[in-house]
Amino acid sequence: MAVVNYEPLGATDVTTTKTLLHESIPLTGTIVSGTYGTWPDDTNVKNYTHGMFQSVYDYPYLSSSANHIFDLTVGYTTASALAASLPAASNVQQSKKQNMYTQFAQVLLGYTGSTNVVRNFESDLTLDGAGKMKSAFFVNFSRLLYKDEVKKGTVSITLGTGSWASPFSKPKLLTDASASSTGGTSNTLGGDYGLLYDSTLKDDSVKGVVFYQAGIAVITSSAFVNDTEDFNSGTGADGMAGAYPSRYTPAESLVSASISGSCNALRHRVKNISFNNTTEINSTIYFCRVPHNKYNYSSNPTYLSASQIRVKNIAADTPVTYITTIGLYNANNQLLASAKLSEPLKKDPSNEIVLRVRLDY
Amino acid sequence: MSLRKFGPNDIITNTLKAHPSCEFFIYDSKIYYNNVPARSGAFSSQVLNVPAGHVSLYEYNIDKLSGSNNFIYPFIYKNSSRVAFRGVTRSQFDNVYSYGDAITSSYPMSASITREFMSGAAGTMITRTTADANCSGRSVFYSSPKYPHFYALKNRLNFYGLRSQHYKVSSSYGDKSLQPVNLISIPTIFYGSQIKPGTVSLKWYLTGSVIGELRDTKQNGELIEVSGSSAGSVAGVVLYDEGFVLLTGSWNLNEQRMGLVSSSTSAPQYPVKPQWLYFGAGANDDVNQTTVASASFASASFNLSFKGTTETQVMTMFAHAGRGEANYSSNPTFLNFGQPKLRLTSSQVYEEDGTRTIVNTVSSSYTDYSASFQRQVYISRVAIYDDSGNLLGIATLSNPVLKKEDEDLAFKIRLDI
Repeated sequence: MAVVNYEPLGATDVTTTKTLLHESIPLTGTIVSGTYGTWPDDTNVKNYTHGMFQSVYDYPYLSSSANHIFDLTVGYTTASALAASLPAASNVQQSKKQNMYTQFAQVLLGYTGSTNVVRNFESDLTLDGAGKMKSAFFVNFSRLLYKDEVKKGTVSITLGTGSWASPFSKPKLLTDASASSTGGTSNTLGGDYGLLYDSTLKDDSVKGVVFYQAGIAVITSSAFVNDTEDFNSGTGADGMAGAYPSRYTPAESLVSASISGSCNALRHRVKNISFNNTTEINSTIYFCRVPHNKYNYSSNPTYLSASQIRVKNIAADTPVTYITTIGLYNANNQLLASAKLSEPLKKDPSNEIVLRVRLDY
Repeated sequence: MSLRKFGPNDIITNTLKAHPSCEFFIYDSKIYYNNVPARSGAFSSQVLNVPAGHVSLYEYNIDKLSGSNNFIYPFIYKNSSRVAFRGVTRSQFDNVYSYGDAITSSYPMSASITREFMSGAAGTMITRTTADANCSGRSVFYSSPKYPHFYALKNRLNFYGLRSQHYKVSSSYGDKSLQPVNLISIPTIFYGSQIKPGTVSLKWYLTGSVIGELRDTKQNGELIEVSGSSAGSVAGVVLYDEGFVLLTGSWNLNEQRMGLVSSSTSAPQYPVKPQWLYFGAGANDDVNQTTVASASFASASFNLSFKGTTETQVMTMFAHAGRGEANYSSNPTFLNFGQPKLRLTSSQVYEEDGTRTIVNTVSSSYTDYSASFQRQVYISRVAIYDDSGNLLGIATLSNPVLKKEDEDLAFKIRLDI
């Protein structure tokens, strides 16, 4: 690139913009259960020896092509009735379930009161201690999917709340329809969160919350209550009361099944999850002004042919150039970046040009 | 937890240069990259949703199928920042979309090698017409290159003429503008910053047997035939920085005629004898058994291999845990369970209990015998902070390391940037 002189950039020539790039993320339910292997031993679902959560991939996780899409776990508070429903010895992974709930609550909601009590998830935006969701499923989306944040008002989770054999005979659609970039959310330690309404009932009942910057959906276990007696197939007769003594209701599953067992049951009931993500692209825009009386000559060696300007035929004509590149220099005239035009731009003394150069970070 | 400062010799920054191998095998208009076979998924016939021989950027849409397992796709709202996707022209942005409209694009983006056979003369100009609005819509005739990619490379070819005369468009070896040229384009994602000189190899197979091989043995870009009918001859050049292989060798490697040129190409006539000009036929160039109208096309196969160059900036940090330092842990299990935490607390005083005892973690060689107490910790992670005390990163050890009070330890932490 041939440079003959520099054009200083003034204060009004530089501005910044922020562009939001979104992606539509559809997560088909069959991916989390049934496509890659037979439930519950799907090859795209990884369980760990610690048993505190399970990871779901979009392809068998032993493949290098697999992407992690979300983690699943369950938990309940120490104040939940589930904690006292069975003796601690019979309550499978009780401390781990309580720890998971507390961990999410600590990170996302923080503490309250003079004694620094960990807040609980609530079915409203006030965090006033009313409407607590004391037992919940946690869907922790991969950063790869939600990028900078989940776009507000785009979360849609369809769950099957029918019988174990036919879960999607009673679909339940949870959406954050009341949330938007201008309202319908509340800000807390873990960022903005919105409410997941049960759109099927249309009665404004809240069945969960979604944390947009953290990429975490919290679904209360009561989303399944009253709809299904056999939430979890269980592993055999367990002496529980109810219409299906060999199977678990949501509450029984949370108490008597392992974390991975309850997560498997939830996977069996996920019909669809979708949301849009957001990536912030910060840009600096430089308005490069080309005055009429400048940049009409080039020091490119090809500009001259036998001491004559190549791009004009009559000597009396005004000089003409074709701008192909803009160099951005610092105060010491060191080249920092060069911007290429998609096609050369004709320049002669009769015209002035403003070239808009955008630098994305 | 206490913070320690890195000393002047504790942080080293250098560049790690690597040369990843890259191999393309072309057979029957299919490309195989690094011998990876085509994999089918539960939904898609191609797991990565890109053709064989292509790499998928970010490998984002794995095993997707429109309708049953829908694709992830990007979109952006038209606004005053005037940002759109690359495929959207300025005219489309202004006229097709209204402010607030979502402009969509698609994933995955993919890349592979591309062959372009410039038959006849690569420098051919063709005359085109266009209606000129400045001339009352009358037709205006103008010339433009038939093969613009060749024109785009002419300056670089002449520039590298200093390295070898074989690069030059016009030299004592001939005028490339007047020759047919076989151009193979290699996207930068395959080689990084440069193709490593001396690593390029092109093999021409006929019914599975090598009938010719080119290598850049001089490391100056000349592709010299090392085996074949004209060993020692230069059949083309490599543009290492730009990722192009330009072949002009037009001697016969074998006398067996076969279909290698698409019938849409005017010259030469078919079938043809194997030459370097036909190397890579079928590599995303619309040449296949149908277009060449000959099953003999499947007798030819080609191998292109080279090494790329990637440069990774690496920061190496030495975190020291000297003797007498880092011997305490704030982990609650570090102290014996059940001890009172505070000795005294009131509205004026908050005093921790100084008599609390530490758990003895020294392993004994004997059963039913506790070893003598020694002050020791197990270091499981090292955290890196900036000048303001902000946590920047955590290096976690694969196994906790035992640190005794009288030991010096140094942890070597590597950060690829």
